[in-house]
Amino acid sequence: MNTLSNALIPRRLRFESQLAFRHLLSGGGQTLLTVSAVAAGVIIVIFITSLIFGLQERLTELLTDAIPHITITVEEPAPAPLKEVPGASEGASSSLIEQQAPQLKFIDNWQQVVETVYTLPNVRAVAPVVSGQAFVSKGANPVGVALVGANPALQDIITPVTKNLIAGKYIDLASDEIVIDAELAKDLNVATGERIRLTSSTGATDSFTIAGIYSRGQGRGNAYVTLRTGQSLFGYGTSVNAIYVKLIDIYNADSVADRIMALLPYEARSWTREFPQFLASLQVQTASAYLISTFSLVASGFAIAAVLIVSVLQKSKQIGILKSMGVRRRQILRVFIFEGLGVALVGSGLGAIIGMTIVFLLSLFKQPVTQVGQTPDPLFPVRILPFYIALAILAAIISTVIAAVLPARRAAKMNPVDVMR
Amino acid sequence: MSEVGILTESERVTASGAPPVVVETRGLKKTYSGKVDVPVLHGIDIQIRAEEFVAVIGQSGSGKTTLLNLLGALDVPTGGTVLINGIDISTLDEDELARLRSDQVGFIFQFHYLLDEFTCLENSLMPITIRHGDVTEEERERIMSLLARVGLGDRMDNRPDEMSGGENQRCAIVRALACSPKIILADEPTGNLDSRSGEEVFELMREMNRESGVAFVMITHDDRLAQAADRILLIEDGLIHEISKEEHRERMAGIARERAVLRSGVI
Ligand SMILES: Nc1ncnc2c1ncn2[C@@H]1O[C@H](COP(=O)(O)OP(=O)(O)OP(=O)(O)O)[C@@H](O)[C@H]1O
Ligand SMILES: [Mg+2]
Repeated sequence: MNTLSNALIPRRLRFESQLAFRHLLSGGGQTLLTVSAVAAGVIIVIFITSLIFGLQERLTELLTDAIPHITITVEEPAPAPLKEVPGASEGASSSLIEQQAPQLKFIDNWQQVVETVYTLPNVRAVAPVVSGQAFVSKGANPVGVALVGANPALQDIITPVTKNLIAGKYIDLASDEIVIDAELAKDLNVATGERIRLTSSTGATDSFTIAGIYSRGQGRGNAYVTLRTGQSLFGYGTSVNAIYVKLIDIYNADSVADRIMALLPYEARSWTREFPQFLASLQVQTASAYLISTFSLVASGFAIAAVLIVSVLQKSKQIGILKSMGVRRRQILRVFIFEGLGVALVGSGLGAIIGMTIVFLLSLFKQPVTQVGQTPDPLFPVRILPFYIALAILAAIISTVIAAVLPARRAAKMNPVDVMR
Repeated sequence: MSEVGILTESERVTASGAPPVVVETRGLKKTYSGKVDVPVLHGIDIQIRAEEFVAVIGQSGSGKTTLLNLLGALDVPTGGTVLINGIDISTLDEDELARLRSDQVGFIFQFHYLLDEFTCLENSLMPITIRHGDVTEEERERIMSLLARVGLGDRMDNRPDEMSGGENQRCAIVRALACSPKIILADEPTGNLDSRSGEEVFELMREMNRESGVAFVMITHDDRLAQAADRILLIEDGLIHEISKEEHRERMAGIARERAVLRSGVI
């Protein structure tokens, strides 16, 4: 112990470190209290960050798992006032600004677009699709549905279908087959193998065999047909109206979308632009995580300052006697800063261990399994984030040392004659 | 420097033959300022030489502790100068004063004031630890033999609360000697002890004084101890008077008579 501390602490600081150590040892309950305050602060920070950031990661995963990360479409010109329209006659003005009526937007050279997008880094899959609205019916009332015509293997990467199948198949879909979601199947009261009629928004009608029924457990989903079938239903010929892109790193979507727009005359929207509210809510969460963390560290800082102030008062006689022995102000200051530092190191170390243990134990709780063969999701989507643990420890140490400065300065300034009377 | 707090011959004897002056005051004044100013010392001129053992006496509140604090550079005078080892302490800054206290002065207080968190040995080594961060084997040996000398050979690893008042005070003496100071200032070192251990402590101080030549200034209310000092300084009305042992004895006798008269008058 002594040889270890001798190796670590420079000779000229050994008096201070030794006295600080003895103060903490003899402090007993007070020391325990301050150490616990620091530990509690660090535990809260670790707990809050791992919970909130874990939750964010999980939410983002859930969201981005089921959507294209980038959607490439034909640019839709934004409505502009007449006077801004190039070539409009001088003095012309408009009293009504109206969004253009939806039109068919063909991406004719989609093979080339797909090739170009595949050359970009971070791209996992590119799927040309035709999507549109349709009505499906089984005898009685027609029900509206969003229809996606796409290559099943590619579509499975963009928005998983096969993985969520309850019955039937999706891969190897035939041109007269369709996959629908469980809610639609319930509304229509149909099962796999049965036939339904489908009318597209362009008026084309055909009948399809239900090849598969899936459920993602979150509202009504799309109906899926092959790309060819989609093209003929909506009258696209060999063109498509959208190209979906799936990325490896979802947080890189904006820059990839920008690259696509720079390279191609189409609009490319990343998921972050598609879901601004989602991102905003994540930011609010992040802000509250930081806020709670800061408050808890400040609170533990105050607790430490209070205890140290009391301890300085208790030690004032001792400070006087030390000064009579030639201790300098600087040395007294260091003694109490070292006490704060000792408390901070032990407290934050302890807090980190306890905090990580709590987070680890929480991660062991699983959600009940709803489907056979499903791997259970964790109940608390916590993540142990080394960066935030390091940050918590650092912040705790800094706040504790700051909290120690005030009482330490007070101690250093004590007049020996006054305190020893 | 010299070993074990012993002054070298050249330091001990000046050209004139008398030991050198270690502490000197010139027109020293002290007034405590507060809501009301408390003038305590009105102009004090004293010289303390190496090897001397000086007793300071005076009534409670006469300013003995005040003087001692000024002699040890623990407090700043409101007038006059204090010279420690020839250096005017008003010319020194905080750090230099601390350095001076650590090099030249040792303090012993009435309530021993050892550090509770440290053992007897660690307490005795404290001035060295403060100065150098740690202690050499040589210094440790020296302090341990000093502790053995004052009868604490088997108490070295005890904490202050595990030792008697007399033992605490003997430990404080060793501590005061640790950095081989030129002068030791003792404020009623025996005031808190029964007469027997008080006497022991006094004898030890006297021995150290004789052996190492370190000057002692000891405040005391014990007239017998004052009689055993080399010189007696009396503080009265903010001024200091050197009195001979005969004068002191007469004063003692006078006070005893007064008391007797008072007592008989009351009863
Ligand atoms: N810091 C201070 N502020 C104001 N007055 C003080 C202060 N210190 C001492 N005094 C006053 O100065 C006077 C001298 O005090 P001092 O402690 O020097 O006396 P003393 O001779 O040591 O007495 P005792 O024998 O009781 O220890 C006293 O009247 C005391 O009240
Ligand atoms: Mg006094």
